[in-house]
Amino acid sequence: MKSPLVLAGLVLVISTIARNSTAHHSTVVNFDSNREVTISGVLTEIRWLNPHSRFRVDVRNPEGRVEEWLVEMGAANTLKRAGFPTERFAVGDPVTITGAAGRRDRAVLLREVTLSNGTHLTPDMRPRAPGRDVSGE
Amino acid sequence: MMRSPTSSLVVVLMLTSTVSAFAQVNAAPSRKGPVPPPGQPDLSDVNWILNGGGPTVFSAWTLTPDGKRRMDAYDFKTDDPAYSCTAASWTRAWLNPNALVHITQGPDFVRLQHEFMDIDRRIPLSNPRDPNPKRLRIPRHPQLGASAAWYEGNVLTIDTIDVAAGYMETIAERAGMPQSARMHTVERVHREGDRLVIETTYVDPVNYQSPFVSTIRYLKNDWDLMEYGCIPEEAAITSPR
Repeated sequence: MKSPLVLAGLVLVISTIARNSTAHHSTVVNFDSNREVTISGVLTEIRWLNPHSRFRVDVRNPEGRVEEWLVEMGAANTLKRAGFPTERFAVGDPVTITGAAGRRDRAVLLREVTLSNGTHLTPDMRPRAPGRDVSGE
Repeated sequence: MMRSPTSSLVVVLMLTSTVSAFAQVNAAPSRKGPVPPPGQPDLSDVNWILNGGGPTVFSAWTLTPDGKRRMDAYDFKTDDPAYSCTAASWTRAWLNPNALVHITQGPDFVRLQHEFMDIDRRIPLSNPRDPNPKRLRIPRHPQLGASAAWYEGNVLTIDTIDVAAGYMETIAERAGMPQSARMHTVERVHREGDRLVIETTYVDPVNYQSPFVSTIRYLKNDWDLMEYGCIPEEAAITSPR
């Protein structure tokens, strides 16, 4: 039985969910926090950068065509301090990503990523104290 | 029964290491920066971060007709200077969450290192009555203008002029707030316990009908600054291929 995370490529607009999200730098401008999107696809690029980290994900659209989505995340320094396990990701991994829909086409601000083994990860954007054990799960 | 010299030495060594370990656990955390010169407020013992400092507050601001035109014309897809790894304004730098600030205070300078965009703001200290104070300009960030600094009691005052025209804010509902080359800002930085308060007064008669004020609060933080290393070619990527 195929894992639900295997590239099926359904893009789902879940609902217009009102969320209380802290305005993270320009996210309110670039993303609509009231519209949530979930995509499933394969990682084709991983970049841990400042000011924004990103994934590129190949997603099969409802018509069966593969389209590229851009997934934005916080700054690499912030993710590192928050203990986000960047080593868990590799090009070629199937992933499911949920987040705020972009105001540009095929863009999403990551809120949660689910790995092929079912692990759910959220980038906790609050810096943790140095030396504390952290887990992204 | 007499204790042997060897066992006495062992007891002494054990006691000494216990006391030492206790002292290490309970020692005050080391300062992030050197003690400032006498007469200056201590802003340097910790690093600072926006998160958790408290609400950011802008007083009411009213655009001129020119200002409204400029703000209405702001295009978030193209006009954010962060796409080229430059800071839109000092306010924008202060308002970047999750990025640290480290302050170093010397007898004739104050240095504010912003992790955001690796901005190094080493300002020579001046006499506030000097009509032509020495100013710091950072060529890579033309919208940050030229800054002079001095202390007024416990307040670090930073006076900035000669900014490049553009947009002073790119965040949230303030995205697109314009600034002209006539923008004059005065940042007043002071400490309230574990918080650093940055109160900025803005005067820009081209874009705003009257002066307004922002108050930004930072919280002390134990992390050390990390290189930001923004790459313009990467920062400019905002859409899929």
